[in-house]
Amino acid sequence: MHLFLLGVSHRTAPVDLRERLDFSSGDLSAAAEQIAARPSMTESVVLSTCNRSEIYTATMDPARAREELVSFLSDYHHVPPQTFQPHLFALENSAAVAHLFRVAAGLDSLVVGEPQILGQVKDAYQSSASRRCVGPVLSNAFRWSFGVGKRVRTETAVGEGAVSVSFAAVALARKIFGHLNGRRVLVIGAGEISSLTAQHLRAQGVGDIVITSRTHAHAEALAGEVAGTAVPWDGMTNALGSADIVITATGSQRPIVTRPHLEASKGHRRTAPVFIIDIAVPRDVDPAVGEIEQVFLYNIDDLQSIVEENLSKRAAEVERAESIVNEEVTKFMAWQRSRSAVPTIVALRQRFEAIRMSELQRLEGKLGPLTPEARARVDDVTRLIVEKLLIEPTEQLKALPDEETQAAYTEAINRLFKLQQDEPETKHS
Amino acid sequence: MNFLPLIAYAAAAVAYAIHFARRDPASGRAATTLLLLGALVHTFVIGMQTMEVRHVPIANPSRAVSSFVWLLTLSYLYLELTTDERSMGVFILPVIAGLQIIPAIYPGMESQDPVLDSPWFWVHVSSLLFAYASFGLAGLLGATYMLQFKEIKKKHLGYFYTRLPSLQILDVMNSRAVTVGWTFLTLGVIVGAVWTAQARGIAPNDPNIKAMSLDDPKIFMALLTWAVYSFAVFARRTLGWTGRRAAWLSAVGFAFAMLNFLPINYFVTTSHTFY
Repeated sequence: MHLFLLGVSHRTAPVDLRERLDFSSGDLSAAAEQIAARPSMTESVVLSTCNRSEIYTATMDPARAREELVSFLSDYHHVPPQTFQPHLFALENSAAVAHLFRVAAGLDSLVVGEPQILGQVKDAYQSSASRRCVGPVLSNAFRWSFGVGKRVRTETAVGEGAVSVSFAAVALARKIFGHLNGRRVLVIGAGEISSLTAQHLRAQGVGDIVITSRTHAHAEALAGEVAGTAVPWDGMTNALGSADIVITATGSQRPIVTRPHLEASKGHRRTAPVFIIDIAVPRDVDPAVGEIEQVFLYNIDDLQSIVEENLSKRAAEVERAESIVNEEVTKFMAWQRSRSAVPTIVALRQRFEAIRMSELQRLEGKLGPLTPEARARVDDVTRLIVEKLLIEPTEQLKALPDEETQAAYTEAINRLFKLQQDEPETKHS
Repeated sequence: MNFLPLIAYAAAAVAYAIHFARRDPASGRAATTLLLLGALVHTFVIGMQTMEVRHVPIANPSRAVSSFVWLLTLSYLYLELTTDERSMGVFILPVIAGLQIIPAIYPGMESQDPVLDSPWFWVHVSSLLFAYASFGLAGLLGATYMLQFKEIKKKHLGYFYTRLPSLQILDVMNSRAVTVGWTFLTLGVIVGAVWTAQARGIAPNDPNIKAMSLDDPKIFMALLTWAVYSFAVFARRTLGWTGRRAAWLSAVGFAFAMLNFLPINYFVTTSHTFY
């Protein structure tokens, strides 16, 4: 049996094509079920995110599976095959396993080490498993991949450090305030990044989010998005006094928040820290504000450079992560081979046992006069001989280095001992 | 006997340093285990000495240092186990292991001076040792606060930024440690004064007792330390001196306390030499 993978990803296909082949909006498990129902395939998992649509299957005939998957993709998404075929990539067995492990570890992601992908891989597996579309081939590979994803994240720093401006701001806020529960946020000027940052902060459990904008309608719109309150523009100074976190993003040509301004509004707050995130260009906050002892002032360039530094730190960890993935692929394939040697070992044991039994049968007449104890000894001795003869071959078969050798050994043993058995799984794989 | 905990503390110090650099759970668990082991052995050592002299071994500077290290270890372990925050260990363990060298090298004999045979005296020394242990933690928290503060303020998010807890947590822990330390310092100083008055009646000619006045550097420094921490507690509550200012105060206060506990104790004072 082969593990066969066909798909498109951000490395092979442009975004408009990925969108057309996207499964995530529909029912993943239903798609997996349809695939597994095709004649050449017995198992399937569909992994679909905004960066990839990948179909993992178990098949005896990869060439045929590929054809069937292409026609399935075309039918399912109503896209002619010639549109997407040049962008498809196909991998088999250890290469497919390696790809799955890399994906789970976040190494194949657009932003290396991003955390969502492992959850998406787990969900994809679960939704297939819920429809009984996974068997031994995929379930072993996927379950192993969860461990790889976890291992790479704990043993390397590929997933560390915020890699977007809004997350970098939230990470900083957490370093200053610890838990953000109940912290008061003031958003001055409603733009895309301020909206994103406010949403991340909301997800971290901040208290009030107060929004003000020269155009009150904008403030109200953002307030609706993040469950905040919009206040009129002239209420800004007041709101500044009680805010722990301030996000400014107006189009103003001159600073809106100045040092005397902030000192006046913060008079009663003494040394409680204030985190000001100025993402406007030109800047909304006078740099002199950053000289106030308790103020942490970060502008868009500061945040951008944090993001870039984190990205390069992640990139530096990729090599270590890749070697963990390779190590795990080797371990997994060896484990697979040791498992697939099991049918041969079982057949061999049955053969030996049959010989033992028939010999005991043949000697029945001579053994007849023995006492029951002596009979039992004979039984034990013969069984022990068979066991000892089989120990070494069993170990050797489980530890064969690659599939070709294993196929050759299996073939040889089948012939030498005239074994009748089902084809072992890895004969082709 | 004080060598055994020293070995465990030194090993724990190395493990905490490795954990701080690598941030892997395995070295963190190893560090905590080694420290727990050290604390256990140290408890045993102090228990033995207590049985030997029938009171907590604190009437000799070396033994007092050993008891102080023991209290500091227990306070730190409490802090670590309740906050699940191991990154402070790398700072506290060198202090623990470094101080433990003193009793390991100079075991010291416990004083048998009959003038010390008063419950007031034991309460006095024990509360001050505990106060110093709390101030030790507070000073350390203050120092790490300033490190973290500086990195965030200057926008150099470097080595410490990723490894230290948030400013808020450091500040809260600092406040707790200072408050607890101040309470015991106050208690220790008051009980000390009461005991001195009592001892004047029992042993009016003891040179130690005679020297007990504000002129004595140890007593003077103790009161100065008390003044610093009283101001820290007061300023946090009424002037809003939290964060960096509180951190700075607790570092200064601890410098005073340590000055008093070690050099002044060993070389300068004439009032606290019962050995």
